[in-house]
Amino acid sequence: MTTTACFIIVSRNDIPIYEAEVGSAAKREDAAQLHQFILHAALDIVQDLAWTTSAMFLKAIDRFNDLVVSVYVTAGHTRFMLLHDSRNDDGIKSFFQEVHELYIKILLNPLYLPGSRITSSHFDTKVRALARKYL
Amino acid sequence: MGREVSESCIDSLLTEMVSTYCNRFYANKPELAARRIEAIGYQVGHQLSERYTLERPRFSDHLEAIKFICKDFWSVLFKKQIDNLKTNHRGTFVLQDNRFRWLTRMSIDLSPKNGASEEASIMADNKGVQSMHLYFPCGIIRGALSNLGIPCAVSADISNLPACSFVVRIKA
Repeated sequence: MTTTACFIIVSRNDIPIYEAEVGSAAKREDAAQLHQFILHAALDIVQDLAWTTSAMFLKAIDRFNDLVVSVYVTAGHTRFMLLHDSRNDDGIKSFFQEVHELYIKILLNPLYLPGSRITSSHFDTKVRALARKYL
Repeated sequence: MGREVSESCIDSLLTEMVSTYCNRFYANKPELAARRIEAIGYQVGHQLSERYTLERPRFSDHLEAIKFICKDFWSVLFKKQIDNLKTNHRGTFVLQDNRFRWLTRMSIDLSPKNGASEEASIMADNKGVQSMHLYFPCGIIRGALSNLGIPCAVSADISNLPACSFVVRIKA
């Protein structure tokens, strides 16, 4: 079953620090830009919603055609946003939790400046593996 | 995630860090040494707060975040909680620890030698050294709170050892 999915991590300063197309569908150039546009547009909604709840996983917060945006906010106000077309809430929650652990490991690197782009290929490989496993 | 290290290793590392920064790197420039030590503490606090907020829900306001620092964060770092939390409800919090773990191994009383003036100068010198050791925990608290979205300034007060108070002033 081919799924489209686009995953970005946005820091507390509203700067995207990581983005990846993790779906198993064939990648199209215009689709990638559309996905990023949808995710960035959803940031305002996340901003409002994040203050109303103390949970980390905010489920589906926005829709576009048949694509849904789900968001996970950490205590440091870093947002993990996933654009997807499946309805697998539990899988997505587990995916977010595992990526959160990976993100903390990146943060623990003393040479990583918090808020800068994540360029580690190891991180990239692991995120894609997690996406294949849970999405 | 997270393996354990022995406490004596931490004590030795902190003592050596303060001593190196004060006597070798920035000898005769205590303000610069203090700022560097505090900056190291800031980064450590940033990382630790991210790690220890993994499992728990997010914070709804400043008081919740300060209470997290006093209870969970302090227990993980020092195996005890903050003994007393005071606030003036206008952005200032005083966290008092009656027996601060990293100061328990430091000598606090001096045998009075010759004359009150010499004792006073030795006391002042001692306080200077002890305050150097407190820049690191101040930095940790500042880093943790900044990561939770609360920019602040943290200072330490050691007027009666081994109790230690950290004054947190939230920037409006």
